Amino acid sequence: MNIYFPFLFQELSVFQDSIQTLQIAKSKFVESGESLEKITPAIKGKTILVPLTGSMYVPGTVADVDNVVIDIGTGYYAQKDIDGGKDYFKRKVEFVAEQMEKINLLGMEKSKLRQAVGMIMEMKFQSELQAQKAPAS
Amino acid sequence: MTDEIQKKFQKELELYNGVQKDIKKAIGLKQQLDSQLNENKAVKEELALLKKDSEVYKLIGPVLVKQDLDEARTNVSKRMEYISKEIKRTDDHISALENKQEALQENLNKLRNDLGKLKLKA
Repeated sequence: MNIYFPFLFQELSVFQDSIQTLQIAKSKFVESGESLEKITPAIKGKTILVPLTGSMYVPGTVADVDNVVIDIGTGYYAQKDIDGGKDYFKRKVEFVAEQMEKINLLGMEKSKLRQAVGMIMEMKFQSELQAQKAPAS
Repeated sequence: MTDEIQKKFQKELELYNGVQKDIKKAIGLKQQLDSQLNENKAVKEELALLKKDSEVYKLIGPVLVKQDLDEARTNVSKRMEYISKEIKRTDDHISALENKQEALQENLNKLRNDLGKLKLKA
């Protein structure tokens, strides 16, 4: 039991970590989806500043307002139109939210288990204390 | 006699710790492979959703190289196959190591018992 207890703690912190990572991923997807809103036909031909490094920008003009290229993972990038891109980020946000829900459920089960184990340990401790006291009195 | 068993016990314990380390490493590798497989799965689904004439690029170093959609699909499928095979291999490796660990544990228990008995006699 004593060995099992810290193990439960470890598991719980793994769950918390993954939820945090997922939360970050989710907000990134939401942000990317929102930035698509800014690409409208109205900005076609307008000048923008393109970041080359974090602190250096070069001027450029927007030539294509209909398509965006999206990183879909493992080094692959796909060209999509604006609506397709928005749809992509919407789906990703949903996917991440689903995973978070799953982990939340698992985490709740584990913390219930941890509580139960803690209670049993407390009870054992108390009864041992009683047993030790009894002969002394 | 006691010294001899003690030495043997030490040796077995070292072996046991080594195997335990190997298991940890193998499990880490498996987790890495699992996450790679998941990422590839997501990419495959995404590629399947693309229209026939969609343009697909692959990041090679710092440049994006245009790729044939069908080629990209088969490439991802092939990579998933490879990763699945690697996962299976690692799984086998892990279970083999666990068997080894169990055997070593038994040995250790036996040696510990022997030691205890000898100490009682002495």
